[in-house]
Amino acid sequence: MVSQPEELKSKVSSRTYIDKTQMAGLWFALPAALALLVVVAYPLLYGFYISLFETNLLNRWDFVWFKNYARIFTSADFLGTIFTTLKFTTGTVAGQFFIGLTLALLLNTKVPGRAFFRTILIVPWLFPEVVVALLWKWMFNPLYGLFNDVLLKLGVIAEPTSWLGSTETALPSVILVAIWKGYPLVMLLMLAGLQAIPQEQYESAEIDGASWWQSLWFVTLPNLRNVIMISLILNTVWWFKHFAIIWVLTQGGPITATSVISIDIYKTAFESFRFGPAAALAVVVFFIVFLISIGYQKLLGERQ
Amino acid sequence: MKQCKVLARAILILAFSLSFGLSLAQTTLRVMSSTIVESPEGEVEQAIADAFMAANPDITIEFIGTPMNDMFKVLTTNAIGGELPDIFTNTPEFVAQAADLGIAADLNEIFDEEFLSGFYPTTLEEATVDGQLLLLPWFTVPVGVLYRADWFEEAGLEGPQTWDDFVNAAQTITQDTDGDGQMDRWGFAMVGTKNGSGFFRFTHLLRSQGAWELYKDDEGNWQSDLGSEGMVNALRIYKELHDGGLVPPGVTETGYGEAVSLMASDKTAMMVTGPHTIGAILEQNPELEGNIHSVPVPMGTDRSASLGIGGFSIAETSENKEAAAEYLKFLVSTENMLEWNAVTGRMPAQIEAGDQPQISGPIYAGFVEAITIAKPMPQAAFYSQIQEVMGEAYQAVLVGGVSPEDAAAQAGEQAAAIIQDAQ
Repeated sequence: MVSQPEELKSKVSSRTYIDKTQMAGLWFALPAALALLVVVAYPLLYGFYISLFETNLLNRWDFVWFKNYARIFTSADFLGTIFTTLKFTTGTVAGQFFIGLTLALLLNTKVPGRAFFRTILIVPWLFPEVVVALLWKWMFNPLYGLFNDVLLKLGVIAEPTSWLGSTETALPSVILVAIWKGYPLVMLLMLAGLQAIPQEQYESAEIDGASWWQSLWFVTLPNLRNVIMISLILNTVWWFKHFAIIWVLTQGGPITATSVISIDIYKTAFESFRFGPAAALAVVVFFIVFLISIGYQKLLGERQ
Repeated sequence: MKQCKVLARAILILAFSLSFGLSLAQTTLRVMSSTIVESPEGEVEQAIADAFMAANPDITIEFIGTPMNDMFKVLTTNAIGGELPDIFTNTPEFVAQAADLGIAADLNEIFDEEFLSGFYPTTLEEATVDGQLLLLPWFTVPVGVLYRADWFEEAGLEGPQTWDDFVNAAQTITQDTDGDGQMDRWGFAMVGTKNGSGFFRFTHLLRSQGAWELYKDDEGNWQSDLGSEGMVNALRIYKELHDGGLVPPGVTETGYGEAVSLMASDKTAMMVTGPHTIGAILEQNPELEGNIHSVPVPMGTDRSASLGIGGFSIAETSENKEAAAEYLKFLVSTENMLEWNAVTGRMPAQIEAGDQPQISGPIYAGFVEAITIAKPMPQAAFYSQIQEVMGEAYQAVLVGGVSPEDAAAQAGEQAAAIIQDAQ
């Protein structure tokens, strides 16, 4: 048995050791925390600060409180833009998920040339977005484009179609390009998830007489739940605020057919030079995306 | 041996000192230019800069090429980031915004009166905001109509003087020339994109109908005619040209570059544009030399033209204003202006160069006449918002199934809201 003074000494030295250990951890985490503050927290807070002004960021700073937010929430144009953004995001994410999962399921089998296909199917993801958009813009060109040329020769269309210049086809065309660009990431995530599923589960399902569809529904998808959730959250956030491909293809046109929220923010800031309202839009988008990610987590989060 | 080492060290120190001294004396002028990235303009501008540097070895010109449609966004971003170049491209459409941002120096304090008196007064007026001269005019690109004189001659047509002439000519020229059942030649290369290139061209059609997108009334208040009968008429003309199949497919995707290619590749007969397009067309298709003529923008109820000034501003924050002024003086000298015009078609803003015989003949006739009837662009910091409204209106009529009346009504309301907000 330890005497009281020695017990006290022991407690003090333990506390000192624990404090030192904790302090060491804090010091190691400090650079990363500072980086996060500078790169993430500061821009967010500064953006919110700008949103309270009518400003050109140089020599005019008129404090307007939450007037920019009031304008946003009373504007029919804003609702229209959000609706277009939701259509674009839903179409793109759903298309990428369907194609990515299908290809992952195929690549997870012993198909001949699997290594070759795994390499070639990643290629769209390797191209910069601007390059992808320019390539597709030429393929969509009404006079010289590949699609019209082929479709005219096959007799599918009677005259050249302006895919990016028509209010009916512009958004689906842009969604198609976005799906082509983004499906490889989903495919890779799903493939990694599939390869982590124990083979015994499929064997058990086979013994129980499960069909391919039943195996997919009761074995594969439940095991992929976390991967699907991560993939959907990442993709939804990424494509909700997407800019480059849409800007290069249509610049938000024709009229406002492809005018998503990021295009609106860009035009408000850099064509109308109204940085306060643009910052307010960006803050609103942040909260929308945050709510979407919370929604996904509640819907697809781990169940006991 | 020891003496050789001492001598070598002395030579090194001397060489280092000389180079350090030279670098101190060396001035680098950063020039943000839209024309340097265009062809054939870029080659000529670089050649002029090279000649200036050869004559002034203590000054280095460093170009920052930026396409015109992106120029003012990039410039604003640079201004906010404290990275303004010494000299930057400016136009009357942006000069009010530049004044609002406080980024352009007053050139009245940099250039003397004698030098400035060598410019067409109308060009200096458009470059002045509240008494401050904020851009030095370099060239004018008055807007008119370029047309294929050879096709017109074959069809027994003359350059269109009215919009009825224009539509009739477009109808006559639009043909299936190879008989394969697909139209392959159209009357008009319409720039239907919703950007500066599209806005600028529609503005001239609008003004020819007696309507102004933005102007100040007698009491000094901003007004807009975007909801007027003139706007309806302008939209009707666009709709007639489009729905009549007189323009190639994909009109809302056809920007300036695409329209130039259509003209150069024998696809279209007419284009509303400035003389600079002649150089761009001939660069793609030199065989068209002599076959491109010009007339002013067709008349509706009014004659419409603008000077289309392009020039340079010296940044208020520049520490090399004197050197910048020297370069700009060299740039706008008569000799360089004529070389610039010969290659690019852009017309001089300087009187002495503009009076030369080179700036005459059927190629430039329409543009020379346009200068005499040109009206200024509105100087308002919110002008780009009005242009955006205009762009949505004409695209709505072209591909959105909206009637000209409804599109004009909506544009009028939006313009009124923008003006009210700004005032």
